[in-house]
Amino acid sequence: MADNKTERLINLTLALLATKRYLTKSEILENVAGYKGTQEAKERMFERDKDDLRSLGIEIEVGDLDVFFEDEPGYRIPQKSYELVVPELTGRELALISIASNFWNDSILAPSAQSGIRKLQSLGIPAVVDFDFRMKYRFENPSQNLEVLSTAINQRSKVTFSYDSTTLKVRHLEPYRVLFWNGFWYLIGRDLDRKEIRIFKLSRFVSAIQISKKKDEFEIPDNFQATDYLPKSDVAILHRAKINIRKDSALILRNRGVFLEQDGEYETFELTYENELSFLRELIWYESNIMIVEPVSLKDALITLMGGVTK
Amino acid sequence: MTESALERTARALDLVPYLLEHQGISIAELASVFGVTEKQINQDLVLIHMCGLPGYTPLELIDMYYEDGYVTVSDPQSFNRPRKMGRSEMTSILVSLDLLKTMRSDDIRHEIESLQKKLLSSLQFENPFVVVQEHEASPYLHELEMAIAKSSALRIVYLSGNKDERTDRTIFPLEIYRANQATYLSAWCNTSNGDRTFRLDRIIECEVIQKAEISQSKDRGNIFTELQGALLLVDKSSRNFIDDNRSIIDNIEDIVGSEQLLVKLNPVDEDWLVRSILGFGGGISVKEPIELISKVHSRAKAIRKVYE
Repeated sequence: MADNKTERLINLTLALLATKRYLTKSEILENVAGYKGTQEAKERMFERDKDDLRSLGIEIEVGDLDVFFEDEPGYRIPQKSYELVVPELTGRELALISIASNFWNDSILAPSAQSGIRKLQSLGIPAVVDFDFRMKYRFENPSQNLEVLSTAINQRSKVTFSYDSTTLKVRHLEPYRVLFWNGFWYLIGRDLDRKEIRIFKLSRFVSAIQISKKKDEFEIPDNFQATDYLPKSDVAILHRAKINIRKDSALILRNRGVFLEQDGEYETFELTYENELSFLRELIWYESNIMIVEPVSLKDALITLMGGVTK
Repeated sequence: MTESALERTARALDLVPYLLEHQGISIAELASVFGVTEKQINQDLVLIHMCGLPGYTPLELIDMYYEDGYVTVSDPQSFNRPRKMGRSEMTSILVSLDLLKTMRSDDIRHEIESLQKKLLSSLQFENPFVVVQEHEASPYLHELEMAIAKSSALRIVYLSGNKDERTDRTIFPLEIYRANQATYLSAWCNTSNGDRTFRLDRIIECEVIQKAEISQSKDRGNIFTELQGALLLVDKSSRNFIDDNRSIIDNIEDIVGSEQLLVKLNPVDEDWLVRSILGFGGGISVKEPIELISKVHSRAKAIRKVYE
């Protein structure tokens, strides 16, 4: 059953690809192998097949035939629209793509990456083994929603989803971009209730994403830059701190700091940091082997943080 | 799992041009490339063999030979070029190139950037994904990769975070991976006689050594105290703790009517857990075991005392 259909779809694709002129429906139903049954059944079959091929991304061109067949439209698949057209890739470039595509392992994007690479490997580019990269990416927070969001962004359809947060649960969004950052996936878009651009962590979506049926519902502003919407505290501004470190301890801190001076039982180092909280968490590691000298705000933040624990 | 006729058609359409460029490929390899069973590939080939152009005489059929498990195509009919890529195929390739870019040194980065431009220019495609990753490549990445490729040994100097000490180790690198915020190396550590994971940014020296130089390992045993079945109350505002540490979470329960989650942990290093809890400044509290509560509190007090 499935065999018959697959065979018919392949035959139809071949016939429509091979023809230079348009083929009429009756020519197709008569000549392409696999169309059986009453005229009506065959026609229904053909309509479905066309839809199926289009859903595979195959473009079927509909055109008027010459004067003799005025009232019957013709069909063909232009070779140009069917074929993969890429600029000349070198073997080295193809090797880079293959290596990169292997990152996905068991992620949701793996099958697409693999079928994409198979197509590129069918272009007759000589294979090279230039690289011996061994580094892998481990996705610890896989997401099921990437395909859906990619489609929504592409056709500019609004999305709705439930988000695990303490306030607003159901979010309506014009999705702009999906961002991968520090091991996590985020969605950035215009929140229609809050009326501003916001960022959402995909691992906190607690429902499936619903895409609006409509397309072209919004436009992404020209000046939109996804990276502008990363949580504020993490924008890379380097702060400087002076930290006193006890002899022979906090080796990792010493390694990335600059030694300033001896201060009694301590040695003073200058260290830079981007995010206050992450830096404090690093400092906590060394307990009383370190002491924050400057800035006072960092010291106060540590004392408050520890106060929170014992409260 | 039954496959739809459409999925099968898509594969068949891609098989022919692939075969054309990989003449004489084995069924086994074909199956692995296309991620299906050999049986499935065989069925696909039988099917494709029966397809062709109207007329369907031998001259008009797709012509291929498969003998002793190897396949050769002599006439692909109109399927001589691969199909164009779909959006999700393009997306995954571009994003994986982005990821690769964040993990390599500058030369390769430039190469990847120009490759991405090249791909985008011909495909008229809007990439909905943005990859942001500020990452400093380890100066020893090349040595580590070579050691994996050749199964050779390295001597490293490593700064251990857990024990706050500098150790000199002989290791056999096994795998390098990036996960969340850092890049890790898993290796057989000859010095501690066990599998160990190292953060690349804490390896401060690295050199290749000959196997002959490897001294007898001295077993240093397990270096941490394992804590079983800890139970934590995590404020929803502190749930980054959960996101960042998926692998140690055994179970999460929503406490109805509160903004807290009851989180059960797999066995973890106790010291690590105490320090992590401190870092959330009250956002995480210990429910069980009771001894852990006092450990967390006394540690917090000790840190405050420095400033009194």
